[in-house]
Amino acid sequence: MATSRREFLKVAGGAAAAGAIGFPAVARAQARPGVPAGPVKIGVLAIRAGIAAPVGTAGLRGTEWWADRVNKAGGILGRKVELIVEEESNPKDTVERYRKLVLQDKVEVVLGGISTGVTLALGPVAEDLALPWLSWDGTTQKGVEETMPSPKWAFKSVDNEVEAIVAGMLTPKYFKGVKTIAGINNDYSYGHDCWETYQVVLKKLGMDIKPVLELFPKLGVTDFTSHIAAIQQAKPDLLMTSFWSGDATILMKQAAAVGLFKQMKGVFTTAGGVHDSLKKEFTPEGLLLGYNTMYFDDPKGSPLLKQFVREYKAKYNEYPPYECDHAYFNAESYKAAVEKAYAQTKQWPDKQQLVKALEGIEAESLSGKRSWREDHIQMCSFYQGITTHKNSYDFVTINPIEVVSTKVAMKPAGSKLLDWINGWKV
Amino acid sequence: MTANLVNVVMSGVFHAAILFLVAAGLQVVFGVQKIFNLACGSFYALGAYTGVSAVGWYAATGGPPGLFLLPLALGGLLVGVVGLPVERGLLRFVYDRDETFQLLMTFALVLMMEDLIRMTWGTAPRSTAGYYLTYGQAHVLGATVPVYNLIVIAASLVIAAGLGWLLTRTAFGRIMRATADNREMAEALGVDMRRVYAKVFTLGTALGTLGGALVIPATAAMSEMGIELIVEAFAVVVIGGLGSMRGALVGALAVGVLRSIAISVYPELEMLLIYLIVIAVLIFRPRGLFGGAAV
Repeated sequence: MATSRREFLKVAGGAAAAGAIGFPAVARAQARPGVPAGPVKIGVLAIRAGIAAPVGTAGLRGTEWWADRVNKAGGILGRKVELIVEEESNPKDTVERYRKLVLQDKVEVVLGGISTGVTLALGPVAEDLALPWLSWDGTTQKGVEETMPSPKWAFKSVDNEVEAIVAGMLTPKYFKGVKTIAGINNDYSYGHDCWETYQVVLKKLGMDIKPVLELFPKLGVTDFTSHIAAIQQAKPDLLMTSFWSGDATILMKQAAAVGLFKQMKGVFTTAGGVHDSLKKEFTPEGLLLGYNTMYFDDPKGSPLLKQFVREYKAKYNEYPPYECDHAYFNAESYKAAVEKAYAQTKQWPDKQQLVKALEGIEAESLSGKRSWREDHIQMCSFYQGITTHKNSYDFVTINPIEVVSTKVAMKPAGSKLLDWINGWKV
Repeated sequence: MTANLVNVVMSGVFHAAILFLVAAGLQVVFGVQKIFNLACGSFYALGAYTGVSAVGWYAATGGPPGLFLLPLALGGLLVGVVGLPVERGLLRFVYDRDETFQLLMTFALVLMMEDLIRMTWGTAPRSTAGYYLTYGQAHVLGATVPVYNLIVIAASLVIAAGLGWLLTRTAFGRIMRATADNREMAEALGVDMRRVYAKVFTLGTALGTLGGALVIPATAAMSEMGIELIVEAFAVVVIGGLGSMRGALVGALAVGVLRSIAISVYPELEMLLIYLIVIAVLIFRPRGLFGGAAV
């Protein structure tokens, strides 16, 4: 179960108190010149209800873990971190809560935002209120194109369609000879965009493919038996889906029940978001599975990742999905930017200085170094691979693991998606 | 070709089987208590989560996998008892109020139940791992059908028959029908309305929770899963006729199979086709196919 805000604050407060008593270094650190007294207030927007609740909860847990860690180590330049959590729901209400965080709670930065439907509305508001906003997973894209190419205050997540591009890049390598493909994707912008982009990439990479079926069930459907019957009838060589929530698990289960992936290849671009629900009993080996931007079981993972996975499992009895790391990086990059600016001016940065420090900054995330591109888009790596049962869990993992950087799989600043893909030298 | 047809029809009938249980719960309650229970979908979700927990507990105690249906169905049925406090604690205050109040009350229940589920089971989708394939697959005319789906369809038919027997062959069924027909008259003849209402609402709730529990091995529980089903259950009762059991059965079959055919033939029509039929029924047969008949 999710840690409630109150429980968390208690823990954070307790940790801070313990720090003050146990570690005199903290008390000394607080006396730094140019650093205001009192805690740093950080606003957090997290979805905690509805389909995306597991994603939002993971982001919040990542942020809490970061805050706990920072506070135990003495805070940011000696200032304790205090999280003020608000709900991300529909665009209108979320914008109001965002205003509250900035105007009433007077936070120094806002972290969070997952649904692009919401963050598309948040972007202009963040610019209006002139305070840095670092988005976990939300973009300001309309379809696949950017609506805010040169923001001043908004820092946005990786482009929505990157996982489909990465899957498209890996498909010719692992599934040679595929001629016919079918897609089952959610009936909203993300689902349609992923499906379109995936096909464009395959064609560009020289695959002679023909789409034989496209299904767009709405978000939240829990029975795909009829869809699977339609897929069986269409007999594609490969089925692609960008399902990212419980529907990925359900599709997998119901597909296994009729042996669907004995008849065709499978590409799950984003199902790594619910990876520990993909049990071995019903998830076959040999599918292409995307974990997005963090793979919990990466053998090359840093000690930080290993510690996070261990503590996450101990606390929540789950293995962390990628959203934790979007959130962790956002918070960590804020801390890095404050420290960078302070190193130059010996003053706690004002918001302009903070934004300047954030641009192009590199910070340690759970999945290694990440950075903010000059146009305020997050740069990181995507993890996809072929499902395997050879592990100690009761769910599938991937081997081999393919790591693809957004430097090659995301459209560069200022470019149009299709122009960029068509310009690839194959 | 035949295999495809079997796949399409069987997947439709499987969907219909679950839809029937929820719609039947809706019909029983509306027929007798004249309350349109929006929370029927929430009871379905509650049953699903309880099913996950019951099976999880069963697996932990090391019970033989082949018998997992027992704790599943039992858990689904038992949690239906929440209908009792809901009816006694909330609904009885709105029986004589305007329908708007009743709808608001049951809608409030939907929201509260969603939160309660989230507080109890968390936000991540929950599932019963590999139990779905415990009974293997049947090969019917070249098509592969999970045996579990057949069990659910059979269970739904047995429950439909059981409801028919309850309504037409037992004393309680006669009282239910009498109450549905004329509440004042039934009361004047000495029927204790409080008890009838409590029992009927619990029965309606248990149908929903059982439906949720039965579907769970084939899917995963999500806190908002009930909302999706309420909408389809609406279509079922409009087509079948509000308050009619036979209507629920035929309506569920129509919605389930037509949805399945639409997805195979022209997927964009999935929901549209069902609502076109709903509109047609509303225009040409406003009381539904079996409307106006006794419960």
